[in-house]
Amino acid sequence: MPEMTESEVFDKFAQIVAKSLRIDASQVTPDTHLTDLGAESLDLIEITMETESQFHIFLPDKSILETAVEVFGPDVLEKDGYLTEAGKRLLLQRMPEADAHGFEGEVAVKDLQQYFLKVSTWVRMVQGLAKYTPSDCEACGGPMVASMGFRMKCSQCGQEITLRSGEELNREWVREYYDKEYRPQAGAPVSATAIP
Amino acid sequence: MNAFGSMLYDSSVMRAYTPARYAVDVLPESARAVCCRVDGLPAEINSFADSILTAAERDYWQSMRGVDKRRHEWLLGRAAAKDAVRLLLEQYADLWLSPDQIEILPDAYGCPRVSGTGIRAGLQPVVSIAHSHGVAVGLAVLDPGALAGVDLEGTFRHRENYESIAFHPDERRILADIAPDLAEEWALRMWCAKEAVGKALGRGLSHGLLALRITHMDIAGGLLGVELRDAALDQFPELRGKLLTVYTVRESDFVFSAIIYQQGAVRMRPSRQEILDYLLQKMGELTQDWDYTEPVRPESLLFSELGFESLDAVVLCTAIQEHYQTPMPFAELLAEIGQQQRDLSIDELTTFVDTHLNGPAGSDHATRRLQ
Repeated sequence: MPEMTESEVFDKFAQIVAKSLRIDASQVTPDTHLTDLGAESLDLIEITMETESQFHIFLPDKSILETAVEVFGPDVLEKDGYLTEAGKRLLLQRMPEADAHGFEGEVAVKDLQQYFLKVSTWVRMVQGLAKYTPSDCEACGGPMVASMGFRMKCSQCGQEITLRSGEELNREWVREYYDKEYRPQAGAPVSATAIP
Repeated sequence: MNAFGSMLYDSSVMRAYTPARYAVDVLPESARAVCCRVDGLPAEINSFADSILTAAERDYWQSMRGVDKRRHEWLLGRAAAKDAVRLLLEQYADLWLSPDQIEILPDAYGCPRVSGTGIRAGLQPVVSIAHSHGVAVGLAVLDPGALAGVDLEGTFRHRENYESIAFHPDERRILADIAPDLAEEWALRMWCAKEAVGKALGRGLSHGLLALRITHMDIAGGLLGVELRDAALDQFPELRGKLLTVYTVRESDFVFSAIIYQQGAVRMRPSRQEILDYLLQKMGELTQDWDYTEPVRPESLLFSELGFESLDAVVLCTAIQEHYQTPMPFAELLAEIGQQQRDLSIDELTTFVDTHLNGPAGSDHATRRLQ
């Protein structure tokens, strides 16, 4: 199946946001923030659910920083509410250059909401996750449809696959990043003290 | 008195509400707290801001990016929190401050912190702020070590199916037991309770929605019990196995939730004797100003002997729940007693508390019964 382009994902996502917040889709632009459009916590839940069901994906339930803090341990990526240099480096890996400009100098954890709640951030996240959702069956080429839970099923031959969750993919990405950046020899013990 | 001050006393604009309507007031040591709600800003927003904000707050407010809505809500939240702090210090510290003597700015995690020219060391309240659809609520607690969190959600918007992602299957089972006409409101109260706990812990719901688990519900009392799970426990290991009590209330089109958790307070599993001792001591305190001169004994009857009235019973029940940080179905107990037109002894009350803290089996009460 042809992968969805960023603008295709954006159009579909903008419709979801507009419907949930009861606003006109033209108000949703890549640079707007969901909270500026009026989204509160339950609206974000609703938008998450609708996005998951329309794109057949599972969005992570934590931000990449929170997942990374769980992997790296406390005080490595952020300390007392501020990103460390290691924390900034990790986030810059995930962030397009245009967004990175906002995070020079001292960066407080609360300021990251600006990035995490930006429409373009969600669109890229959805696009990235949708790559893991096949539209055609590997076995027979038939169309895949949503099945129970995290599963999809071929409507032709009945073959089932389990989808990857965003949380799991994020964790995997963080682990790989950790290995690449901080563990020069394969198999060396993981040690937070090795991180500059 | 400035514009804000005069507005404060106009009850149509601002009124205080106590989510712990059973009374934060009766627990001077364990929960000195005030919760205030503000509905809407005056038309002259800039002069209102000038009248309540400190210089640093004004700088922060003016530098806020984003749309007006966000700035308005921020201001609304400040108004509610400052009022809560003012009333709190008036009530418990006899300190009369104007809003601009109280500074409330976010720390690096985004949690509001109180300082300001009127705030003395040692009297620095813990605050929490929430806003939704033009209404803001501020909770202020006097004990500096307390964890405090507040939230509100509008009930006017019917939402479908968010429960499937917001709640754990165990929580959905609790919801399934609620009468259908109450289920939607209580789902919202549960959500609100989680948000309040998330705020009290200082990181919002960053551990994921399911890391905060509703495990107890007392509909008559408006109480919800929340326990931490998974990653949230890694960060707060001291809260393992503890039940956090969240007060919830519905007012017009909103549900509110508030939690005040004294750090170091332990969810106790006391023996029956300890419960009895606590109740006798508490009864002694409550009745010391009354006419009743006899010592309070286990067989003393609350209503006919000690002269309790129903409000006194509510005060006592609230104190017990606060003391043990555990909601218990007192409303049902009191209703049952009312129906049967009988009295309640301290001994019987002890059994009730013991059963709800320790379960019917395993407590020494059960053992005693067998003897």
